[in-house]
Amino acid sequence: MPGAALSPGRLPLTGADCFLRAFDAEIGRFNAASHISQLVLRLGPGFDVERFRELVNDAVDAQPMLRAAVRRRFGVGAPFYELAGAFRRMRPEVVLHDLEAAPGDAAALPAIFEARLNERRSLRRGELLRFDVVRYAGGEAGSDLAMSWLHQLFDGAGSEHFVRWLNACGRGEQRVDELPQPSEMFPAAPSSKTFGERGDAARRWQSWVDGFGAHPLRSLAGPRRRTPQALGCDLITLDESQTEHAVAEAGRRAGFMTPMLFYMAAAIRAHHAVARARAFDPVSYVVPLPVNVRPRGAEAAIFRTHVSLVWFQVLPEIVDDFDVLIAELKAQRLAAIKAGHIENGIDAMSFARFAPAWLYARMARRASPGELCSFFFAYTGEFLSGESSFLGSKIRNAFHVAPVPASPGSCAAMSLRDGRLNVTHVHQRGVFSDEERSLFDASLRSDLCGGA
Amino acid sequence: MREMPEHTQDSLTARVFEILRDEILSVDSAFTPQTNLVEAGLDSLAVTQLMLSIEESTGVWIDESLLTPENLENAEALAALLHAELEKA
Repeated sequence: MPGAALSPGRLPLTGADCFLRAFDAEIGRFNAASHISQLVLRLGPGFDVERFRELVNDAVDAQPMLRAAVRRRFGVGAPFYELAGAFRRMRPEVVLHDLEAAPGDAAALPAIFEARLNERRSLRRGELLRFDVVRYAGGEAGSDLAMSWLHQLFDGAGSEHFVRWLNACGRGEQRVDELPQPSEMFPAAPSSKTFGERGDAARRWQSWVDGFGAHPLRSLAGPRRRTPQALGCDLITLDESQTEHAVAEAGRRAGFMTPMLFYMAAAIRAHHAVARARAFDPVSYVVPLPVNVRPRGAEAAIFRTHVSLVWFQVLPEIVDDFDVLIAELKAQRLAAIKAGHIENGIDAMSFARFAPAWLYARMARRASPGELCSFFFAYTGEFLSGESSFLGSKIRNAFHVAPVPASPGSCAAMSLRDGRLNVTHVHQRGVFSDEERSLFDASLRSDLCGGA
Repeated sequence: MREMPEHTQDSLTARVFEILRDEILSVDSAFTPQTNLVEAGLDSLAVTQLMLSIEESTGVWIDESLLTPENLENAEALAALLHAELEKA
């Protein structure tokens, strides 16, 4: 693991952490917020907030990562988590909000969740995590719980592992002080490549991404906006029969093990429906797909970001034919894996550890006129599979809410929960009109549900 | 392409099992040709890497559309699919 020479009280950020740190800088400049993700649990009656708060406090007291500051030595060099002294910083908050009744619309999320998504948090002060519980009718009508975190703390899979682990502690199956320390979770696995080989791999990855510049994308948000605007979130939940249809179609058309390509194709077509309605020429769609690259034996690693990116580029001409689009995505994914671009991406991002955030963001958008990509996309599979309740309250629904910088201004994150597909569409306010949000929703449902 | 002595069901099972154990998955001694592959940690990236290794080993590319839950049940089931594809080739 790079950075092994750091003192015991310091843990290096992964390359992917630093890549996301560039987004944090980007979002800070153009959204007036931090790069905050959320994990949302919609719970049934009986959620014990005080017990949850005690559990969180115990976990925070046992685990310095949960409030570790992210710093650079003398302001330069590769950044690290300052674990020593973390216990002196403020604990992450668990804030309770009481409302008289649950919202009538099941897709409506509490306003406080959206506000948290648009907050500014400090990496340097270790403000990595916070919780909000919205309790309806004193808890009799259920509660919504949002865990908001800066992306340097977890990735999506890590955040689910953390909640799963908290739940096991609540059931008495784990001890709260036995959460593995970060250094124990990631057995040293130094790259077998030389520095020069890693540099070559990083150049191949950059060259691959630069190649997309032959058809420079235009996102629906356009190049970066100079006026900071808040992020909003639309939740789309398919019912069980619609989801059954979508899952079957994803397996049939994209493959049982690669359903994410079906869902990504549907997301491309939803963006294209909006572009067409605007008579807007996107030139091409360039979309990165996060790939989990946890090392062998560390599948349940909680902290830090363990992803690489597979990039896709498709021209609008093929978007109208769903099957042609899926076939193209399949071919590009296979070509990227064959070319070693998942590993090359890890090497490229490892160099981001040494670059200032603004420089990496500039490199990332070098292939396009000031834009990063067409939109963000993620499919994370079954959400908290096997966990039917959280601290004794039934989990009615659960999903991720993923942030997005001002450009591209749109992110579609999908996951399955209890036989229902959730899509959270996070967008910068002003990028989509109300009519366009409806069109986006309709296009997505039409592709995912077919006639169901 | 690596040399394959013969394409019997047993030799293919042994080869698929070796690739899974040595190159693709992080498994212990409890891993057998009957172990469920998804439960053993086979994910979308690993399955593509597995297909590439099988192609290198046998010259046959198994399209992802053929990878049903039944065919990915365990190394034996996957070898049976591979055997059928080799028979066609």
